[in-house]
Amino acid sequence: MKLITKTITYYLLISIPLLLLAVMFSYYRIKVQLNEEIEESLYKEALHAETLATSVKPNDLKLDFSNLSSIKSSAPHENSHTFYDTSIYNQLEHELVPYRMLKSYINWEGQTYLITNVKSTLEDDDLMESLYSVCVMIIGFLILAFFIVSWLLSKILWRPFYATLSRLNEYDIKQHKPYQFDKSSTAEFNQLNTALNKMTDKMYHDFLHQKEFAENASHEMQTPLAVIKANLSLLLQSPNLKENEMNQLQSIENTIKKLSALNKALILLSKIENNQFNENSSVNLNDKIKAAIENYQDLIQAKNIKIETELSNDLIIRINPALCEILIANLLQNAIRHNYMNGTIEISIKNETLLIANTGETLSISEDELFVRFKKNDAAKDSLGLGLSIVKSIVTLYNTQIQYLYSLNKHIFTLKF
Amino acid sequence: MKILLIEDEPDLRKSIKQYLHQEGYVVESASDFIKALEKTMVYEYDCILVDITLPNGSGLDIIKQLKQQHSKAGIIIISAKNSSDDKIIGLDIGADDYLAKPFNLAELNSRIKALIRRRNFDGNKAIVVNEINIIPEERTVKVNNEQVMLTAKEYDLLLFFITNKNRVVSKNSIAEHLWGDDSDQMDNHDFIYVHLRNLRKKLAEKGCRDYIQMIYGIGYNFKVNV
Repeated sequence: MKLITKTITYYLLISIPLLLLAVMFSYYRIKVQLNEEIEESLYKEALHAETLATSVKPNDLKLDFSNLSSIKSSAPHENSHTFYDTSIYNQLEHELVPYRMLKSYINWEGQTYLITNVKSTLEDDDLMESLYSVCVMIIGFLILAFFIVSWLLSKILWRPFYATLSRLNEYDIKQHKPYQFDKSSTAEFNQLNTALNKMTDKMYHDFLHQKEFAENASHEMQTPLAVIKANLSLLLQSPNLKENEMNQLQSIENTIKKLSALNKALILLSKIENNQFNENSSVNLNDKIKAAIENYQDLIQAKNIKIETELSNDLIIRINPALCEILIANLLQNAIRHNYMNGTIEISIKNETLLIANTGETLSISEDELFVRFKKNDAAKDSLGLGLSIVKSIVTLYNTQIQYLYSLNKHIFTLKF
Repeated sequence: MKILLIEDEPDLRKSIKQYLHQEGYVVESASDFIKALEKTMVYEYDCILVDITLPNGSGLDIIKQLKQQHSKAGIIIISAKNSSDDKIIGLDIGADDYLAKPFNLAELNSRIKALIRRRNFDGNKAIVVNEINIIPEERTVKVNNEQVMLTAKEYDLLLFFITNKNRVVSKNSIAEHLWGDDSDQMDNHDFIYVHLRNLRKKLAEKGCRDYIQMIYGIGYNFKVNV
């Protein structure tokens, strides 16, 4: 929910009950006030009538204040003034109209007279109706005013905030130059921007350090490995080596080979993730696939794997050529490594889709872990567990979709370019 | 044959020196940029092995200096930075080859020999070992003057053996030589045996003696009596 929508919702939730309360209060206040006014005027009329009545003969008296006021003889009664609410039928409007009535008894020359004064009060309905319409008008006007004010505020006051927000959205640490958020005249936004500047600077420096560390670590590791490997080559040349010593040497050599392959793969991964392969060109995937199959003939023949290719069209993509080769090589190696003896590999290109499927045992790890570093199937002990992570990081770099499916004893990888 | 080895890591320098010395080369070494520059200014070498990251400077600057002097030495970069950028720059400014650390000494030896062969075109073009005659330029092999038809892998394997003759070469170093980086992915070395068996068969058909000895599980030795 947008900030402005939220603000207005809360505003309405609070202001509507408040306005209703205010209307109810006004209604009673106005009603009381009006009654007081009417009673006062009725009382004045009654007094006036008394004065007139005591100066002339009451029977001849014709009051001209209002045709609804009257003076009559009445049964003996104490002097009193009493107000009543009453309704009188209005012939013009054909409805009962509320009236306030004052009955005054006066005793004069041994005779009791009843003076009745009436005055129409404002009808409740009318009062409610007008109050209601005023209230609706006020609410409507307030909402409108609030919309305009909020919109203007968000345009003017919140502008630095939205600017910061859009810059944050564009922020990519890999293409980072130390980042500066603009100054604003609002203290809070300045604080926010200062905090963000600090945070992105810290992130960037950590990122640089990490990158540097990965590079340095790999460099520093290659040299000792080279020393071990060189000494091993020399040691192999010594005469009089016994078989079990030779076997130990071979075990050391195999381990070093694995270690240096691991190191190379990690360097490659960090290079891909640091976006260090940025020179793209148009690459024909079909050619790369054919070349890779040719390259891996020895591995394919060793397992006597049958390769079925169905390249129905040329698929040309924008990619770094070296990365493209690595991508195809890793997918193919994966399909060979996790295959049976005498198994098959199907490779097909249809439109923008590359599909590589191989026969093989079901996964011993979950499908979600397939592309995770160092997660590997139990059967492949010698595997580094980095091949598919490399594949994943390459396809992520190029925003390509990769899907894995196991069906009919086949591992199927689908890439949509 | 005189080789200059420019490498700052003492242990590596020692091993490489010892290995190449056994191959019959005269090997001198320099441990940093300044010493290396001094040697290259004063002496002539047939081949120079240069590390890129050196104390006091970059190996690339030594290569530039050598090229300015119109040095005839073959140059092989041996670097721990296996980056294609370094490789391209190095080859661009005139290095002949690039070998990423960690490498096998047998591989280094075969690169040096290949480089020296390329440099000495006017000399003897053929490599002759008893009845075997290889012409690297044409990639042809003759046994007793009869041509042997070898696949690319079989030819590379034979040349690698002969380059490192009378030495134990491990299966790992053969795999690295034949398959390069892809050998990282090979769990076993059965395919070497396939190529080796075919090579032996083809050589034997032309009456070649079997020089290739298996050394337990670890590798082979192309044994030629000297």
